[in-house]
Amino acid sequence: MEPEQTPSFHERFVELFDAYFQRVYRYMNRVSGDPDLAADVAQETFVKLYQRGSAPDTPAAWLISVAMNLFRNAASTRNRRLRLLTPSRGESVLGDAPPPPDQALEAEDSRKRVRLALDRMAERERSLLLLQAEGYSYREIAVALDLNEASIGVLLARARRAFREIYKESSDAP
Amino acid sequence: MHLEEEQLQRLLDHELSAREEKEAREHVAGCDACRARLADAEREEGEVHALLRAVDTPPPAVDAEGVALRAELMRAAARPRGSSWLRRAAAVIMVVGVAGVAYAIPGSPVRKWVHDLVRQVGGRPEVRSGGAAVPRGAAPNVSGIAVAPGEKLSILFTGGGQVRVTLTDENEVRVIAPAGAATFTTKAEYVLIGARDSSATFDVGIPRSAPWVEILAHDEQVFLKQGARISTNATSSAGGYLLRLEPPQP
Repeated sequence: MEPEQTPSFHERFVELFDAYFQRVYRYMNRVSGDPDLAADVAQETFVKLYQRGSAPDTPAAWLISVAMNLFRNAASTRNRRLRLLTPSRGESVLGDAPPPPDQALEAEDSRKRVRLALDRMAERERSLLLLQAEGYSYREIAVALDLNEASIGVLLARARRAFREIYKESSDAP
Repeated sequence: MHLEEEQLQRLLDHELSAREEKEAREHVAGCDACRARLADAEREEGEVHALLRAVDTPPPAVDAEGVALRAELMRAAARPRGSSWLRRAAAVIMVVGVAGVAYAIPGSPVRKWVHDLVRQVGGRPEVRSGGAAVPRGAAPNVSGIAVAPGEKLSILFTGGGQVRVTLTDENEVRVIAPAGAATFTTKAEYVLIGARDSSATFDVGIPRSAPWVEILAHDEQVFLKQGARISTNATSSAGGYLLRLEPPQP
């Protein structure tokens, strides 16, 4: 028999949801480039928190670790499905919507280049960069990525350099 | 002696202890090279964070109550072993209406969903904390749900108790239970009733005009109305049918 949720945990759950849901979603969206997948993973992460029935000692690290595990599992399934259902990149169909104005084109171009740079980064460096950008502490990052906390600063600096270099390469490319 | 890269990055991210930060800042104040390194790192970090925002999209419109509700449903769905029907149902539940605890919480989207989905005879439903929508004028100790039967409707019970089925001249399928005895969830093609009290009796009213309505206990069909034809092993009593639901195995 599973215990009913106590009011205090329910309240704590709402607090944690309000504090972290958007961060988890944004992180997952940046990692995956797939808003639907990010939304699914973020929701499932908080479903797991609710089903846990108590708040973890380090909620931020716990939530992001769970989300990353769910993402790894979901991504492989999703990729298989996407290969079956989506047309190949660059495929054009007559009757497409007209191109957006210049400003929108620039924003779209920037989005694509950032996406490309993130996709080309090593997984660990990308996670480091994105977790730090979300405001996670070095301790939380170390727990989530199973790294030595003492060297997070160096690894972050490397990750930032890697991102900038890849982004610059894609910008310089014809 | 210049700052090491670890120290520099920690200084930038406020990850040094108060004493370490004081020492690092004193060094930076007197060292042109480290001051330039810190400024470069700060600028680069700002640029990277600004670039990352280019791929952001608005978060999904969900809130804590909706996610908590989904967690409860998934937990309920996991209880009856081998209940593939319920698992499938739980897997597709994204937007649901529940007359339960979540309903009574101010600001909960569930409140709107229930108002969209639950239409009680006799006017607007009242709200009871931990219970469900109660028809005006009805006994205050009952709760229930009413939904249009559509082309096909499955009513699924996940707990124990008794179900009294009657055919009615109403337009909607109605399920009435003692307050607090169950949670009610509905989506277009099914109603999920999580029975909490195995001694409770649930009254199910099915319109005679409904083309196809089934009642499932866990994964087993125990009642089917197909047009005018009724298929059930239930006891016939007082113009209706009495079904006994076995509580789920622990």
